Amino acid sequence: MKSSDVILQTATKVVFFLIFLFAIHIFFAGHYTPGGGFVGGLLTASAIVLLLLAFDLKTVSRALPFNYTIMIAIGLLLALGTASASILFDVPFFTHAYDYFDLPLFGETSLHSAMLFDLGVYLVVVGATMNIILTIGSDD
Amino acid sequence: MAFQILLNFILAFAWMFILNSFDASTFIIGWLLGLMLIIMMRRFFPGPVYIKRVWAILKLVLLFIKELWLANIQVFLLVIKPKLDIKPAIFRYPTKLTNDWEITVLSALITLTPGTVVMNVSEDKKTLYVHTLHVDDIEEAVTSIRDSFEKAILEVSRP
Repeated sequence: MKSSDVILQTATKVVFFLIFLFAIHIFFAGHYTPGGGFVGGLLTASAIVLLLLAFDLKTVSRALPFNYTIMIAIGLLLALGTASASILFDVPFFTHAYDYFDLPLFGETSLHSAMLFDLGVYLVVVGATMNIILTIGSDD
Repeated sequence: MAFQILLNFILAFAWMFILNSFDASTFIIGWLLGLMLIIMMRRFFPGPVYIKRVWAILKLVLLFIKELWLANIQVFLLVIKPKLDIKPAIFRYPTKLTNDWEITVLSALITLTPGTVVMNVSEDKKTLYVHTLHVDDIEEAVTSIRDSFEKAILEVSRP
């Protein structure tokens, strides 16, 4: 008796978006509340892993055509660039700057250069996790 | 259906622009006025008015809550019985539903009402395999699911 994955696939189509949205929230919440780049990256990777469980490898690779190795490189460059940008302003390595900006929709927001570093961490975590899983998962 | 909701949205916005006041209460009044107009003009739309479907969804939720209560009380009574005289069974349930989401909602409803668990969906999506905790008459179990959940889901998808 062959069975179909109709329940798993339909539930995944809804739950994937919820996990991804929560990952974005956790990423931005990292400054004042628990969360940050690492947890956000892992949550994003787990959402993609859920897709991989429900659908097959070919479908997911066609839907999300990311090269995760390049993603790791971009993340490392972002982190390193944010850290070394402080040299240009004649302050020690890894000195961060922040300021308050009046953005549309958000109102008074404090923008911190540590967020860019966190984005680098996020990209590295997503790339590394997905690289490990795809390398183990693919047959070739 | 989707077109009607969009039209109602546009009408509510138009009402806000006419009155030149942009807050939630004006929007809601505009929405209700637009709904009144859509009900008045219902002969011009191909499908039924979308309120019918909203009502069907509400009925489905209420039915689910009612069934959840009843089934949990039944399982509680089974648990506290001194003698365990249950008759477990796995039966085929031939479903009329075709869409993926309909089958998923039906399976979720059957599974969340204790005593019955959907174990499998056949490959052609025409048969659900249901495990039940206690069944006297399989035909009766099938018709009870058909008359309650499947009917309510059909009302939502094809009113």
